[in-house]
Amino acid sequence: MNLLQAIELVHTQSRMSLKADASKFYLGYFWWILEPLLYVIVFYLVFEVVLQFGRGEFLLFLICGKIPFLWFSKSITQASNSITQNKGLIGQTVIPKTIFPFISIQEVLYKQWLVFAVMFLVTALYDHPPEWSWLWLIPLIIVQYQLIVACSLIGAFLVSLIPDFRKMIAMGMLFLMFASGIFWDINTIANPELREYILVYNPLAFLIDAYRQVLINQTMYELSHLSLLAFLLSIFALFGHILLQKFDSYITIKVISS
Amino acid sequence: MNKKAVTILSANNISLKYKTRSRLVKRFEHVALNNISFELYKGETLGILGRNGCGKSSLLKILTGVIHPTSGQVNVNKHITRSLLTLGLGFRKDLSGRDNAILSAMLGGLNKRDAIQSLDEIKEFSELNDFFEQPVRTYSSGMRARLGFSTAIKTNVDILLIDEVLGVGDAHFKEKAQAYMTNKINSNQTIVFVSHNLEQIHALCDRVIWIENGIIKSQGDTKKISKQYQQFMHRL
Repeated sequence: MNLLQAIELVHTQSRMSLKADASKFYLGYFWWILEPLLYVIVFYLVFEVVLQFGRGEFLLFLICGKIPFLWFSKSITQASNSITQNKGLIGQTVIPKTIFPFISIQEVLYKQWLVFAVMFLVTALYDHPPEWSWLWLIPLIIVQYQLIVACSLIGAFLVSLIPDFRKMIAMGMLFLMFASGIFWDINTIANPELREYILVYNPLAFLIDAYRQVLINQTMYELSHLSLLAFLLSIFALFGHILLQKFDSYITIKVISS
Repeated sequence: MNKKAVTILSANNISLKYKTRSRLVKRFEHVALNNISFELYKGETLGILGRNGCGKSSLLKILTGVIHPTSGQVNVNKHITRSLLTLGLGFRKDLSGRDNAILSAMLGGLNKRDAIQSLDEIKEFSELNDFFEQPVRTYSSGMRARLGFSTAIKTNVDILLIDEVLGVGDAHFKEKAQAYMTNKINSNQTIVFVSHNLEQIHALCDRVIWIENGIIKSQGDTKKISKQYQQFMHRL
């Protein structure tokens, strides 16, 4: 299978999956927007109404953090399980394993455009109308996509060999939700060293903070840091792809005998 | 012309061990195939006979290239295309028959446009009618087999490997599938056909390999091996 065939297959199957997924529910495609908004509302009720965090524009703050985070967590969770879930196909066709996580990644990505549109709409309604500086979101989205690809490929590799990693990835997502400043502002950490430490070692925290800088604060994030991230994540993504390629036949045996 | 003259694929001392780790220290090791050697000739229909769990399906997976043997090798020219025809286990249950047929055709090497063009033929051969547009999860096992057979036969390959697909579906479809197979056999297609059904092996194969507990118990002329197998089964 050449690269073009692989891309066409990934694109076709992820679109088919979206259609099949929507047909299972009464509200169909509407769930693409409804689900992330419901998550945001639950967080809003807990932190603003019950715990009274008292931050200005908290709903917008939450949306700009939770929506990128959901893109990340849904992609990784779905993609990590994608190889083991295709046991039947893997047992009868010679197919590069990288295809499976990519189908999941694209499936979530295609939904994400609509969710991002809602995020932009809410931002505009909060008296932050669209500006040319919003174009700086494009590199952010690309680097987040790279982060998703790198984590998904490595996650899918680990889960296909040792299923226990599925549990660890679920726990990891929970940890990242608390450690990435979704419902709290990373800039409020009193200790500057700790703040720097989180921004350097948790790319998701940096990205979420950067989304907020562009959309809410109308300031610019650190472009050099983003460039470094883009470079490192490309290496990690390549590493994930090589792992899946190198261990292809071992993964097949593991998956079909599980 | 002797059609068995050219070797298209050869299996040399292939063995396959499965290691399953059920817990951290608990392991289960299973020898599925042990030291199997044979040759496949261009244009022949080779039958692989054996009881359930004897290693037939593992052997087919190795011959297709889906898995590699633990030891030994399969020698085949890299330009020789191979395809495994099974009961449609690779279908995504949440997708319709149509979508699955498109994906199968694309996995078989077609681009999307060609895959879509092949749909009418697949739909007609499968006789699924309106079910073709329904999710595969609503299909009976016979319907899944019909879709599997119809999508798999549309790809032109050098070696067609068939895993017990002719035994399912209603009598009418069985007949149709068998007729298709006979036609393929007559058109000089190289086929490896796996079954535990003696009658089908007898009707379709030039030569038979009988596998028991992962080793070749006997191989040769269909009539002779079928007789030995029958006697063995009676003694059980």
